Amino acid sequence: MMRLEVKGIRKSFGDREVLHGVDFHVESGKALGLLGRNGAGKTTTIRILMDVFHANSGEILLDGKKFLPSKHRIGYLPEERGLYPKRTVIDQMIYLACLRGMNPREARESAKKWLARLEVSEYETRKLETLSKGNQQKVQLAATLVSNPEIVILDEPFSGLDPVNSQILKDVVNELIAENRIVIFSSHQMSYVEEFCDEIAIINQGEVVLAGRLRDIKREYGKNRLMLAAENLSVEELAGKVEREWPNLVSLSGRKKEFLILELKEGADRRGVMAALAASDMEVERFGIYEPSLNDIFVVKVGEDE
Amino acid sequence: MKRFAIVLKYELKEYFTNKVFMGLTVVLALLGVAALFLPRFVDMSGFTGVQVTGGGSGEETESDSGEESLYLYVDQAGVLQEEALGGMFPGVLWQEAEDTDALRAAVEAQEAEAGFVITGATQYEYYVYNKAMTDSNTAVFDQAMKLFYRMSYSREKGWDLEEITAMYDVPITVTEQILNKDSGSNYWYCYVLVIIVFMLIVYYGQMIAVSVTNEKSNRAIEVLVTSTSPNSLLFGKVIAGAIGGVFQMGVILGAVLLSYQLNRDQWGGMLDMFLHIPGDVLLAFAFFGLGGYLFYAFLYGAMGALVSKTEDISKSVSGLMVVVMGVYFFSLFQLMNVDGTVIKVLSFLPISSYSTMFARVAMGSVAAWEIVVSFLILVLSIIGTGVLGAKLYRMGTLRYGNPIKIGTALKDMRKSD
Repeated sequence: MMRLEVKGIRKSFGDREVLHGVDFHVESGKALGLLGRNGAGKTTTIRILMDVFHANSGEILLDGKKFLPSKHRIGYLPEERGLYPKRTVIDQMIYLACLRGMNPREARESAKKWLARLEVSEYETRKLETLSKGNQQKVQLAATLVSNPEIVILDEPFSGLDPVNSQILKDVVNELIAENRIVIFSSHQMSYVEEFCDEIAIINQGEVVLAGRLRDIKREYGKNRLMLAAENLSVEELAGKVEREWPNLVSLSGRKKEFLILELKEGADRRGVMAALAASDMEVERFGIYEPSLNDIFVVKVGEDE
Repeated sequence: MKRFAIVLKYELKEYFTNKVFMGLTVVLALLGVAALFLPRFVDMSGFTGVQVTGGGSGEETESDSGEESLYLYVDQAGVLQEEALGGMFPGVLWQEAEDTDALRAAVEAQEAEAGFVITGATQYEYYVYNKAMTDSNTAVFDQAMKLFYRMSYSREKGWDLEEITAMYDVPITVTEQILNKDSGSNYWYCYVLVIIVFMLIVYYGQMIAVSVTNEKSNRAIEVLVTSTSPNSLLFGKVIAGAIGGVFQMGVILGAVLLSYQLNRDQWGGMLDMFLHIPGDVLLAFAFFGLGGYLFYAFLYGAMGALVSKTEDISKSVSGLMVVVMGVYFFSLFQLMNVDGTVIKVLSFLPISSYSTMFARVAMGSVAAWEIVVSFLILVLSIIGTGVLGAKLYRMGTLRYGNPIKIGTALKDMRKSD
């Protein structure tokens, strides 16, 4: 099992420090969701990881040793997509595979394999510029994976893909994780991050403001929070009722379209709320521990730091 | 090194599978060959002075111009000798006009090409409908008038004009023993070769800059710099550009020089000054020309990395162009004075040695150690610009937006180091 650790990375451009000590880690067979608003420092972090930029301080370790990207096969899908528009698909895939250490024969076989896996084999001899945007995106993904990388960094991999192609990519990402590779996944589409990532790191204004196992983070953010919906009351009516009748038990923490989010007051517990529910005339539709979505956590965390 | 070879191979494929590049190479080479083989198949004796039948060896003949032009004259002074005019104006039929008005009318009606009215022993009028830029009739007729004057004067004095002329124009025989360089005959091919290197630098340098900027504008650069080192990318690209340029120029120049060698007799040696280039000069041209080209190619590559759009390249390379142009014009001016101090100094500077040292080798006195030292300086400078270019390239490749000024780029590069 491999473990990639980013420790205390700082980076300045001119007199402006853009990363103020970024820390996170990821292990093989798992995916890390690297999240952050535009300009938060995700791409700079990735470029430092790829040795395109040099950090002013901090270190990157792989299994405790200094990480040298040139010694490993890394597949990087940048957010700004780009290959050679006037060259054939297969030519540039072989070129990139060879640059990443494969011999031409291996490179050709691998290119064909990935084009087939992403269902774009029919375009292999076509110039890239003649393909649709979606197919160009799939070719770019194939080019990312053509060297059979041990570490895969995907920056917004789903942008530009229709639902069918998104499903193909989801399957591919799941296969990569199952094949014990390190996957770093950067996206604004939180549902995809939730689907793939065991760990997340939220970067805001150049520092990691939240990192850890997604399950633990969700549990922590859902601690003392309950969700409640009643069949015989609208969300508004339910909110009014809760405020009137249970002022010592819970407070309103939020409301969604179909349920309320309640926060236990000090000294109160879930059993007390259940007893109150049993004693009320509510026809309970949904009651349980509230688990926030990653989107909620992201908005709260990044919003707090604004 | 392996990655450099992969980049080189990929970039070379770009040149050699490019139909425009290959087509242009073949077409220009064929045009050069066709032009130089022309005297074998077409009578160009009017131009070359050599009449050729079939593929046989050249045979010098008098020009046979076919149709004769009609020139009229009116001799009011009674000095004209029509038989003397025949030798001085080949291919011209001389006819006496009735008077000046008749002569003028014939020229105006374009029945006669030109007309001369001799109004005195030393003066005449010249009539022509449209005077061509190359019209030399008056210059030749001046000589004729002088001859008529001498003949009439000698006759009056009872002198033998032929004897006086033979004494006056006694032929002198000279045998030149040029112990080093013949600047007179070397000048023109030096001139041509300086222009060729200049074109090579500007044209292919620009192509390299465009190729680098294209990778930025189509965003392929981010995938590339995360797949291999910037050094491999820039060196591969520049060396591929150099090979492409040398191949194209080599094929065209080689075809032209070889064709001329094969047809030198048919041309009567008249293009020797451009195309009969000694081997040592070609060798100096190959080494210094290629060196200078590589020196600038790395800088063009780095300049290409400082902009994000191809339309901004001209801004980025303008400073470099000023240096290249300055060296070019200076080299051409200094061809007249190849042993001067200034050209000697310039022949050791890497920005200018590609043309000045080569010119000194072709036309001046240069010691072997000077050539070696100059070439070593050039080689070290190429490595230096290669490394500097790769650093600028690395720094500039992922910076998009407005063009980065070279000063800012160097400052940022120093900081990041």
